[in-house]
Amino acid sequence: MSDLEPRVRSALAELLLSMADDEFVLGFWDSEWTGIAPILEEDVAMSSVSQDEIGHAKALYEMLAALTDDNADRIAFGRPADAYRHAPLMNHPRTDWAFSVARRFLYENADAIRLEALARSSYTPLADLAVKMRREETYHLLHFDLWLRRLADGGPDARSRLIGAIDALWGDAQGVFAPLVGERDLLTAGILPESLDAMRLGWLARIAPLLEAAGLAVPSVSLPPTADARVRHTADFAWLHGEFTMVARSEAGAAW
Amino acid sequence: MGARDKVWEVFRQEAEGDPMVHGGSVRAPDVELATHYAREFYGRRQESERLWIVPRDAITELDDPDLLKPPFDRSFKRPGGFLLKHKLEAARERAGTDAVTRSEELGE
Repeated sequence: MSDLEPRVRSALAELLLSMADDEFVLGFWDSEWTGIAPILEEDVAMSSVSQDEIGHAKALYEMLAALTDDNADRIAFGRPADAYRHAPLMNHPRTDWAFSVARRFLYENADAIRLEALARSSYTPLADLAVKMRREETYHLLHFDLWLRRLADGGPDARSRLIGAIDALWGDAQGVFAPLVGERDLLTAGILPESLDAMRLGWLARIAPLLEAAGLAVPSVSLPPTADARVRHTADFAWLHGEFTMVARSEAGAAW
Repeated sequence: MGARDKVWEVFRQEAEGDPMVHGGSVRAPDVELATHYAREFYGRRQESERLWIVPRDAITELDDPDLLKPPFDRSFKRPGGFLLKHKLEAARERAGTDAVTRSEELGE
């Protein structure tokens, strides 16, 4: 770790933060389904999948804390809302079940592409963690692909809500692969084995047949995300941030 | 969804080689979701080596008391019906051996 040049180290920190914030914020949004999911069994499933994401976030925050001599809890709960670096896909509230399923489907496949690439990273701790995370994400992929097909085939109401959600989220889903400050340094060092935009094209190629298999059209325009995609936040996220930092803020500096 | 739900019985194996033991049941409309929910309820804490997911309607139930609880004393059909201890005692009595000493020697 100490043998990384400061420029590369700060680019790696930015990569870890973006991934951790994706998992963390999505984990909090979807944990809102606890108690109100469509059936009891799904309630348990969605809650458990959301906990998985927060667990992945924890592992990434800890890696980041080791790299920057910081504290994982402080990074997770001690930042103002505008310091989070999640993709714009995570700026939306949970909305209805079709919306949450559509977001999960788009994100889980994007995350799968990202983890596949990072399993080849020259930064061994990250490559090892990516391999571990992929094993747990296998189930997430299966689960949300299954729900996508169910809702697509679940009658006109479910289908139109699902199509509406995919259309609404499509642009922001590209933002999972928004360019990072210092991305070039990460590519040179082999920490990122391929560019984020190459991963985005891999993701599009991966989900097109899955959408088609569910009888859904692939939205026609897929513009590359802009550099500020992970900096733009919404009032919905500001509200969620207030919720998930509430307990930590109630007693600053407390040991839990 | 409710009307199309089915009940699935879930059996789990705790360690390789152990027998499959009934864990409980889940409700799901088809085998694919039933498998996911079985995993969530009976496998997500790494407590299972293997799961069997069986539609409840594939199970043949037998609960006829004429077949299972006939009204005669059939205790001789249970292994407990033959207490070797009592037979040994009777045999020793016939042979005139001290039953208590002998059974102590046998470690009973």
